[in-house]
Amino acid sequence: MRSRRAVIWLLEKEWRELVSARAFWVLLVAMGPLVGVSFISAVHTYAEVSGLNGTAAGVGEALSPLIGVWAPTFSACELAAMFLLPFVAIRMVGGDRQSGALRLELQQAISPLTRVAAKGLIVLAGWGLAMLIPLSAVLLWKLNGGTVYLPEIAAIVAGHVLNAGLTIALAAAMASLTEHPSTAAILTLTFTTGTWIVDFFAAVRGGWWERAAAYTPAAMVAEFQHGLVRLDAVLATLALIMTGLGVAAIWMRLGVAVGRRGWESATMCAIGATLVMACTLSSASRDLSENRGNSFSRADEQALRAIQTPLRIEAHLAQEDPRRADLEHHALQKLRRVMPLVEIQYVAASSIGLFEQSAARYGEIWYELGGRKEMSRVTTEEGVLETIYTVAGVKPGAENREEVFRGHPMATEPRFSAFIFYLLWPALLVGSKWVLERGRSQ
Amino acid sequence: MLFEVRGMSKRFGAITALADVSFHVRAGEVLGLIGPNGAGKSTLFECLAGVLPPDSGRVTGAAERWQMLFYMPDGIAPWPAQTVEWALDFTIGFFGGRAELRQKVIGQLDLGGLLHQKMGTLSKGQRKRALLGIGLLTPQPALLIDEPFDGLDLRQAREVQTALRWHAVRGRTLFLSIHQISDAARLCDRFVLLSSGRVCGEGTAAELAAMAAARDSSKSLENLEEVFLALT
Repeated sequence: MRSRRAVIWLLEKEWRELVSARAFWVLLVAMGPLVGVSFISAVHTYAEVSGLNGTAAGVGEALSPLIGVWAPTFSACELAAMFLLPFVAIRMVGGDRQSGALRLELQQAISPLTRVAAKGLIVLAGWGLAMLIPLSAVLLWKLNGGTVYLPEIAAIVAGHVLNAGLTIALAAAMASLTEHPSTAAILTLTFTTGTWIVDFFAAVRGGWWERAAAYTPAAMVAEFQHGLVRLDAVLATLALIMTGLGVAAIWMRLGVAVGRRGWESATMCAIGATLVMACTLSSASRDLSENRGNSFSRADEQALRAIQTPLRIEAHLAQEDPRRADLEHHALQKLRRVMPLVEIQYVAASSIGLFEQSAARYGEIWYELGGRKEMSRVTTEEGVLETIYTVAGVKPGAENREEVFRGHPMATEPRFSAFIFYLLWPALLVGSKWVLERGRSQ
Repeated sequence: MLFEVRGMSKRFGAITALADVSFHVRAGEVLGLIGPNGAGKSTLFECLAGVLPPDSGRVTGAAERWQMLFYMPDGIAPWPAQTVEWALDFTIGFFGGRAELRQKVIGQLDLGGLLHQKMGTLSKGQRKRALLGIGLLTPQPALLIDEPFDGLDLRQAREVQTALRWHAVRGRTLFLSIHQISDAARLCDRFVLLSSGRVCGEGTAAELAAMAAARDSSKSLENLEEVFLALT
């Protein structure tokens, strides 16, 4: 009972500390223009494309608000999560250490994990407030006659909340680990921007780098922004969040010898890495996009699921060959989701493939199933499916024309966007801060 | 006896901050930890409170450490964006502090005019009074205060001494780290003398004087300062 009361006081204290932190208000105020720029330019482009009536083949997908408007609008959150949110989290964790409050609070027998979790929860709640700004863009879009497909919005929001959780956990660990907030900020930014190196190596080297790149924050957010929710990515992110908070909790115990804290952190990281590896074994996923951009048609999915024999695909394409990217994005990523028994292997002597173009088998994609083999050079969705059906001896079901996504063209631009994002939101936030400060000092 | 400290040692690289420190604290007493700057007083308090890991040694008592003692460090400015009033209420709520003493402590330490001021805007002396208020409201039977009179003027120091004595009379054990020996002599029942991380003596003023006299009878030991110099 007493410790429950203490936790409530702790949460109240953390909330007060958050709303009194300038870093938090800077984050909120900056979100308005950041979201505004993205939303206004995305809607402008969307309206221009909609002016062509959106009836031409291939335009339908482009006129999905998810890809055309929400992905770019919410990308402002990714920017804020990477470059602004760490400072808020570091201020919350490192501030107590700097002011000496931690030395007082440690004398209450609350577990360090509870302390860190309280901080993380409050910063995440603050992030929830920041997310109201891009969500107000959704409302604005709706009020102007736009179509909103809620599962897509839910997927995007979930992705950005997970990404924020990851940033908070990492920043908390760094703030707890280091003596000074500036060191923590440098380490956090080194880590977050360092994941770009993984993406770079993945693009050049492939292999394990490519596998690891599927779990970087940028890759995770990108998939959520396309309406794809992968269980392995969600679980791996949660495992990383728990590891970060665990390390933060370990280093918050100032009264424990540094050597012991080091060993405990190493153990915690090893457990976290094992959990992440275990999470990658899960292959469940859900396509929440209205245009089913991450999936084959339902008829094709049904036909592919019926194939029980393992399928082996050998693609003679180099890592940086654009045809390989086409093959992956248009067909293989979707194929993996419906055919767990598919094995894909890329064969190339170099990463760029420039000098392999004249090689005998370069560009060939071999499909092998139950002893039968077929070769194709086509990298489109239709071409890949056709070859698989041929090699499997399967006849695909008829396409339901009513299921085909026709897009939601909207040739008008939402009114008052600039006023709301560049003026109203910042003014509202500055005013709220002023009222809060006034109320507290009276 | 409330708790006992045995064989506490702490090194920072080549520097020995505490060397095999042992003493005991009696319930309800005002114990002064006396020593010059750099003697290891703050390090000892931090090790006792569990906010700094000692290399060796332990604190034994009837209860868990967090139930027995609360340590108020010197030179901290906690919760700078919050008001003094909130800090006092937080102490009562978060630590399960002594709500019944709230008004008394505010009066004793003259905090009434500071209640709506933010902790971060207080002067050194005002902050010291606010921190003392926080310490006095905590629930633990023993309160360790690092330099309770630092930053206070003469009048305020006397008022704080009166307040501390009031709490001690009502059963609160006070363990005060003081480098001004004259202040300590006025307030404390017993003393632990610390020099270069070592305990040079423990006892009442009379006991320490006897100890010093036994060591060197040629010196005049008229006050605690003389005793301290003789024993360190």
